Amino acid sequence: MNRKYDFYFDPQRCLKCWACEIACQQWHGIKAATIKFRVVSEIVRGTFPNVDREFQSLACRHCTEAPCITACPVGAIQKRDDGIVVVDKSLCTGCRVCLEDCPYHIPQFGDDGTMLKCDMCLDRLAQGRQPICAEACPTRALQWGTTEELARLTHPENQS
Amino acid sequence: MINPGASTSPEKTGIEVIPTFCHGCGSLKPRCSLLCHVKNGQITRIEGNPQAFNNWGAGCTSLCAKGYTGAQFEQTADRLLYPLKRSGAKGEGKFQRISWNEALDTIADKLIETKKKYGAESFGILSPEFWPVLSTLGRRFLNVYGSPNYLHSAICSTPRRAAARMTVGFISLAPDNWEKTRLIINWGSNIENSGVNSGQLWEMLEALKRGTRMIDIRPMLDPLGTKAHLWLPIRPGTDCALALSILHVLISEKLYDADFVEKWCYGFDKLSEHVRQYSPEWAANITGLPAAKIREAARMIGTIKPSFICIGNGVGDQSNDGTATISAISLISAITGNLDVPGGQYFGFPPVGPPLIRTNQISVLEEKAPPEMVKKLVAPEGPLWYQTKKNWESGPTSAYYKALMSILTGRPYPLRVIHAGCTNPLSATRNPRRVAEALKKLDFFFVMDLYHAPHVDFADIVLPACTSYEMSDQIAVKNSREGTWIGIYNKVVEPPGEARSDWRLYLDLAVKMGYGPDFWNGDIEACLQEQLAPSGISLAELRNNPQGIFIPRHEPPPQLEYRRYARIFRILPHGKVQCYNEAIGGKSDCLGIGVLPYLPIYQGPPEGLAETPDLAREYPLILSDVHAHRLSHHSYLHNLPYLREHQPYPWVKINPATARKYGIADGDWVKVESPHGWSKFKAEYFEGISPEVLMTKRGWWQACPELNLPGYPYGNGGSEVNNLYNSNEKLFDKFYSQMAKQTLVKISKLEED
Repeated sequence: MNRKYDFYFDPQRCLKCWACEIACQQWHGIKAATIKFRVVSEIVRGTFPNVDREFQSLACRHCTEAPCITACPVGAIQKRDDGIVVVDKSLCTGCRVCLEDCPYHIPQFGDDGTMLKCDMCLDRLAQGRQPICAEACPTRALQWGTTEELARLTHPENQS
Repeated sequence: MINPGASTSPEKTGIEVIPTFCHGCGSLKPRCSLLCHVKNGQITRIEGNPQAFNNWGAGCTSLCAKGYTGAQFEQTADRLLYPLKRSGAKGEGKFQRISWNEALDTIADKLIETKKKYGAESFGILSPEFWPVLSTLGRRFLNVYGSPNYLHSAICSTPRRAAARMTVGFISLAPDNWEKTRLIINWGSNIENSGVNSGQLWEMLEALKRGTRMIDIRPMLDPLGTKAHLWLPIRPGTDCALALSILHVLISEKLYDADFVEKWCYGFDKLSEHVRQYSPEWAANITGLPAAKIREAARMIGTIKPSFICIGNGVGDQSNDGTATISAISLISAITGNLDVPGGQYFGFPPVGPPLIRTNQISVLEEKAPPEMVKKLVAPEGPLWYQTKKNWESGPTSAYYKALMSILTGRPYPLRVIHAGCTNPLSATRNPRRVAEALKKLDFFFVMDLYHAPHVDFADIVLPACTSYEMSDQIAVKNSREGTWIGIYNKVVEPPGEARSDWRLYLDLAVKMGYGPDFWNGDIEACLQEQLAPSGISLAELRNNPQGIFIPRHEPPPQLEYRRYARIFRILPHGKVQCYNEAIGGKSDCLGIGVLPYLPIYQGPPEGLAETPDLAREYPLILSDVHAHRLSHHSYLHNLPYLREHQPYPWVKINPATARKYGIADGDWVKVESPHGWSKFKAEYFEGISPEVLMTKRGWWQACPELNLPGYPYGNGGSEVNNLYNSNEKLFDKFYSQMAKQTLVKISKLEED
């Protein structure tokens, strides 16, 4: 498999500060209250005083078997060799079939109707840097790295 | 200027990357350094400066929501652009444009005339939160002019510090080493709102990962509280009862450090006797917490050591019995043996080694101030006996709200001229309607601000201020384990209109007043050079290194000392912890009319379910607010779309069970009425709050045109929570003037959009 890069998110360290979401908006020049490449949200469980809040920061998962790629009737969504799922704007017809098939409701549609989503900040990757959202996180709840690096975070027993 | 990346250059992209500092969470505190991407004179993107030791230190690039909103600071249409003079009635908000020269001349003439006619003390400066401009140049100006009236907010760390100092000799800001702390008690500290990127939150999360236990004591289940092992959702304003009850359990169950108590505590027997009345069952009735939970917390504190109590603004500075509360909390740390031990309440800043770059503090020219000036304070924040050089931050202080009231009451004399820079008195303190009356009655009010906040309507002269992106008048030094870093604010974009840096106001004004020789003859560069002198780094050198200059540390970190009790307690009677407090007990209170108690007595909030049961029949719910918030800077920044998007309307968190009882749906406007006024907020259903408590956020005056969202007024029918609180000065804390930040309310659905 070609998968190379991934995001890692630890809800235990997230404090719903919105830094990742706003960092993304401003880096990509997205206006407030329009489309989002990354969204911070929460689920509240239980009733007072036995309450739990679980925070989440969600962007495109760049799935190994991405349903959006299979769904797209014109082949506008592709997976790069490094695993990043990208959209070719020139091919996208804005049919929104990808949105129906995405289990995370990720695809966004801009003013011209074509699909937009997280590209792991390809511009920054090209400069050898991380996506802005991962650099933004003040608690390192959100991280980015190669799948091997992140496996060590998820399974500390793998650490050499 | 540095390149944004290896493959790009300013010549090719037209983008320059310029470092400077964010002021999103504090007025001119150089905390987080930014890299601003600038194209055609506009900020396009912002990222953290990895070379400036933000948050967890070397290499860190994180910022917070406000930090990343930086570019929008420079894109708003609501900035003040030119000096203005009032052309209508006070409060009407009618102004006409004038020159800086005319504005400064008018202010200088008025100040000279006022001093001659009423004495220098009739001029006061309103202080926002701790602000370097005011604590250095502003204080210097007051000293040269001859007024003691630095009108300090009384909502600050200084009341906390004063109460802790007078009880255990110091207030601890952090443990020496979080790795050694086994229990963290986050008590009324709102750190995920007030300092997301300040480093301490990072340390706490790392500690939790290592297995450190945590107790969170706050009315709402805030994000950090979700990680805690025990959450105590206390009724706002009743923390003193909880602290006294924890002392009761620690003493009655002998969970204290007997050796420490024997050697270093004065009057422990009297305290033991005193707290016998404060059982968990007694406190349960007041705090709304089950007695079993109070015992559980006390036993954790008594058995898990070392512990660090992070005392927040909510308990010490925003309750009218803040002094007793802080004394009691400090005594919990003391008798459990957690003072100045590894992982406990460390004395002083955790030493990382001496700074390798030395700079001069700006002198406040104390010697220029008239002797005995302190006696002329219009409303001493702390009692005069406490207001001495060894206790104060930059000089004497009057309490913000009480001082404003002198204008209306004439007691002991009325302030005649006030300056507000970087502070909005119609949200920064209680009772905005009464404050507005005072501002109206004032002889002369001059304001310097970024925006036309509501208090600007009352100004005689308005001066437009700069953001941190528009000036280069401040130096920042950061000392860390790795070394010492120095940087200067770089002007990233040109200020709009005729906006000027706050640093220049006092210099410009001083020249007009004839104080030029004491103020570098108005030359800010000379002022900066004086600060830099001991560093051996010239101003030109610093400006030529916009990324800052770093001197690495080669020597190992200093060996830490602990249990320095003889030294720490020497400022206290008998050289011991004041369980029976002879440091303040029996001495005059801040009003100069009564004496302070020797033991922490439960007083409680002016309005409470247990404290005023008759009132509670009509007003059955408790209301409080979160003070700092991660999506605004106090009452400012609601104009910025990235931030406003997440809190479009003035909100009130309400337990769904309570809301349904009153027929209020999630998102409905709610009329919230206290015995003092009414305001409106939108209901936000939230299970993480007690059904008897409501929590909101203050300061909603600013509109956000880009999202088509209005601002809301401060008076009745508006959305300012300070409109609802008790503001009876006689009920403020008797030692340090703290005001209650809670009241009782009744609620109903408001039929409007």
